Amino acid sequence: MSARSVIDVSELQHHQFDTYDPVWWGNNFLLAIETSMFAILIATYYYLRQNFHEWPPPVAQLTATLQPLPVITYGTAITILLVVSCSPMIVTDLSARWGYRRLSQVGLVICVICGLAAIVLRSFEFSAVYFRWDSNAYGSIVWFMLGMHMLHLLVLTTESVLLMIWIFTREYDMKHRVDIVTLAVYWYWVTGIWVLLYAIIYFTPRMK
Amino acid sequence: MSHKKAQKEKKEGRQPAVVTDEELAAAMERERGELEKTWARPTGWRGWFTDTDHKAIAMRYIKTAFVFFLLGGVEAALMRIQLMRPNNHFLNPDQYNQIFTVHGTTMMFLFAVPIMTAMGIYLVPLMVGARDVAFPRLNLYGYFVYLVGGLLLYSGFVLNTGPDAGWFAYVPLSGPGYSPGKRVDIWAQMITFTEISSLVGAIVIIGTAFKMRAPGMTLNRIPLFVWAQVVTAFMIIFAMPAVMLASSFLASDRLIDTHFFNPAEGGDAILYQHLFWFFGHPEVYIIFIPALGFISPIIITFARRKIFGYVPLVLSLISTAFIGFGLWVHHMFATPIPQMGQSLFTAASMMISIPSGVQIFCWIATLWGSKLNIKTPLLFVLGFFAIFVLGGLTGVMLASVPLDLQIHDTFFVVAHLHYVLIGGSVFPLFAAFYYWFPKWTGRMLSEWAGRWNFWLMFIGFNLVFFPMHQLGLNGMPRRVYTYLPETGWGTLNLVASIGAFILASGVLVFLVNVFWARRAGAVAGDNPWQADSLEWSIPSPPPNYNFHNIPVVQGRYPIWQATADAPVVRGLSTTKRETVVTSVMDAQPELRFEIPGPSIWPSLVALATAVTFIAGIFTPWAFLVGAILAGITLTGWFFCDPNYENKTARETGEHSHSVPRAPELRPKEV
Repeated sequence: MSARSVIDVSELQHHQFDTYDPVWWGNNFLLAIETSMFAILIATYYYLRQNFHEWPPPVAQLTATLQPLPVITYGTAITILLVVSCSPMIVTDLSARWGYRRLSQVGLVICVICGLAAIVLRSFEFSAVYFRWDSNAYGSIVWFMLGMHMLHLLVLTTESVLLMIWIFTREYDMKHRVDIVTLAVYWYWVTGIWVLLYAIIYFTPRMK
Repeated sequence: MSHKKAQKEKKEGRQPAVVTDEELAAAMERERGELEKTWARPTGWRGWFTDTDHKAIAMRYIKTAFVFFLLGGVEAALMRIQLMRPNNHFLNPDQYNQIFTVHGTTMMFLFAVPIMTAMGIYLVPLMVGARDVAFPRLNLYGYFVYLVGGLLLYSGFVLNTGPDAGWFAYVPLSGPGYSPGKRVDIWAQMITFTEISSLVGAIVIIGTAFKMRAPGMTLNRIPLFVWAQVVTAFMIIFAMPAVMLASSFLASDRLIDTHFFNPAEGGDAILYQHLFWFFGHPEVYIIFIPALGFISPIIITFARRKIFGYVPLVLSLISTAFIGFGLWVHHMFATPIPQMGQSLFTAASMMISIPSGVQIFCWIATLWGSKLNIKTPLLFVLGFFAIFVLGGLTGVMLASVPLDLQIHDTFFVVAHLHYVLIGGSVFPLFAAFYYWFPKWTGRMLSEWAGRWNFWLMFIGFNLVFFPMHQLGLNGMPRRVYTYLPETGWGTLNLVASIGAFILASGVLVFLVNVFWARRAGAVAGDNPWQADSLEWSIPSPPPNYNFHNIPVVQGRYPIWQATADAPVVRGLSTTKRETVVTSVMDAQPELRFEIPGPSIWPSLVALATAVTFIAGIFTPWAFLVGAILAGITLTGWFFCDPNYENKTARETGEHSHSVPRAPELRPKEV
């Protein structure tokens, strides 16, 4: 056997941020799946709207008909909360890249609190729709959109809690710093999707 | 190499970077032993629930999917017995409804898609030169979710609760008003399970193909099989969410009285068709494109020359995928669609024959004038050409609205879809079985039996499905359990039924061939076909770690183009599960990535998923319980002992502002 030329990779790291790490890619593909899911949900929303003269459908009261527009308060509060929560997440994101453990911890705690607050607000938001999911197709699709986004809020917050516990109780290693950076992508995505859904759910009925 | 450095590397379990001639053989042997130990797989029942080896999981997928193929085949045979003569009472109408629904559902969701994914899970890492897939634990999860979906469907079927509304379960027939009971709910949740597993498989395959390629395998050197798998995976990502929503809406209409498809409350039945076919048409290509991926390497190998038109072939795959999303309405020409829409979808349906044509011409150009080595895999590929071209022709016919309206829901459509699906994917799949079986088992399938297998299947297939074109034109509708003698459909149906048994005997020959070859087939060796791609550079069956030394790829045909002193990757650990992660475009080495090892948690998460959706057939509260179960099991997955991690070399807390540069891909001479 003769000696052969080699590429020596022994000096390479085990983990690195963004496009380097397979986990970052995996997360982005999951988000691509969920993005197409929301795109189809939005298409469904407008498809169903074609079947209604008024959107949302009017409700007959004793003497007059009522235009039951979805109450905008909770939706707006969630929008502001999520957009604002992106700043502690940016801090967490950058601190994970730089390796400042304490800053990551503080940032994640604030993010988790924001996530929990958004979940609480969302549970009130359902009642602001005026219709139940089983009232008519309008109620069904709006509840479904809110519900799917709620699911993401739950998953996002749970994931943040798990990572928070890890960096408080275990090592602040490269693997989990990469995880934090990946979590940040998910956070921005959940916020971005919500801004879109907020605009659609609350302003489509208000546009005449 | 200094003695001190060598000792340090030995302590850390790394391969020494530099070796002399004499040390090489001994060092190689020692490394092999260490790799065997590091990549050892759990065995027995523990292995069933914890083993994350991609080859083991893929083999399980393939076997499971093949069992479903056989079950679907038995259902087909039952239908053919029933339709053999007019006024037959072998099956009653209700049994017939369940059987054709379960047949279609099985073949599409439990056989075709999973087995194509499984071929990718087995072969993609081997073809790109990786030691495992990018997310092995996720992969294990995907398999179990798929298995649960299949078992759910068949549990319902044997309990006389098999779905009976057709494999696409159109509303209002499948809605709460016309399908009381739990039959359709079982169908809807089966969709959930199989789609989760397909999506998971897609992510695993793209992750592997993007990040785990051997150094030097740049984008334009990726094997065509891997390209096909990647394109399919992207189609899965964008198509499957539509059917997940369709089946979720359907399930919630049935369970909690939503009104997505209820016209009385502003819902819409046509919406269901849009959602289903937005998935359903790409689905055809999700089954067909991996099959195209089998054909290219087989043609390269048996024509014994480089492929003609690599770039057009790749671009055709990609454009087929894009156009495939613009065809769904041609399944709905019999619904009130605006005429403009009809024209658009007719045009797109005709346009997609262009990339398909480009591929066929590239393959013919490769075969043309070459000295063909006609073995069974190539025979099946040639069979594919004949059958698929016929199916493609009837496809162009069906794309025309006036013709489609005449033959909508007749046996003409049944003939067309079987020509494209069996011709377009089952024949290439059998070609792939014959081609890669030696790699999987180390033994060759019998050529003699292979020829019998091919001709029985080819003749049987045409005998079953060709007469169906005529039956459809004569007006025989699909999904009727019997017909009257006066219709005059008896003879052609009898011919088709005889053909079905010839086709089945072909499959039987295959099974016998497999069981015989497992014990007594000729020993294959590493590369029995003198093929060009990386999977043939390693022993058959491959060792657990796939590649002792990850190769450095020097061309599009790595084995044919490898020089005598082709460089290899050194410096990976032999005591940890390490592989090289490279950049997406140029495949420059970026990381020494530690691949997760065996774990029980993926199976537990799959169990939580199973409980959630099966109980969700009966009560919406299942989703609350399921969320808690999933939370618990996912927490376990997150915190479980990362047994693959190297505790000593863990980079802790250092401040690194800059990303270190990866070494240039210029092999050093040592």
